[in-house]
Amino acid sequence: MRNRIKIARVEKSLTQAQLAKKVNVTRQTIGLIEKGEYNPTLRLCISIAKALDKTLDDLYWEE
Amino acid sequence: MEKSWLSKVLPNDEYKEKRILYFIAESAVILAILLLIFALINNYSLYGNSTTGTTALLSLGFLIAYPLIRHTLSGIGYTEVTNEKRYHKEIKAIFNRSLTTLVLILITHTLMAGIPSNVTEIFDLIGPAFFISLVVFMISYISLKKSFKKNRELLDD
Repeated sequence: MRNRIKIARVEKSLTQAQLAKKVNVTRQTIGLIEKGEYNPTLRLCISIAKALDKTLDDLYWEE
Repeated sequence: MEKSWLSKVLPNDEYKEKRILYFIAESAVILAILLLIFALINNYSLYGNSTTGTTALLSLGFLIAYPLIRHTLSGIGYTEVTNEKRYHKEIKAIFNRSLTTLVLILITHTLMAGIPSNVTEIFDLIGPAFFISLVVFMISYISLKKSFKKNRELLDD
């Protein structure tokens, strides 16, 4: 699943490890989600969106 | 989602958790195949008398029975049964399926071992066939009952 997590994370000056710590997953999982190689659960999608001060639409909705 | 007791020993990270669950499931399938091969080699036939072969078959039985029982009790077998009419229709279908199982076992056994010639042989044939059919019926019935209850709880009206 394509997403804009990496852009939002960089905008917020967070590293993958810092974001991972905020949402209680591993850095590897964040990397896989950013590359579109793992589809997170809705629960994790919401956690990431909250951690990056974005909405689900901002991060995941495809135009 | 309701988690399993296994989740207590799995990582909190959902990606790792999912991958490890796949690894454990794969190992169970490979183990089942190896146990079957081992049992066949040990016994030459499924009805041999080798103790190690029997142990392998019992282990294989556990590997099959455990997920079957968990599946039956979890109420995920009949996801579309939400009203009484459909429930009773499914009971009839389960009964017919069990009856078909009984008839098929009787026919297969008769074709392989011949027509029973005395009362003991008749009981030796009907007893296990009836037992297997009863197990098939009970598993499906419990699964249906659990599913129906779960489906009713999840209805939005």
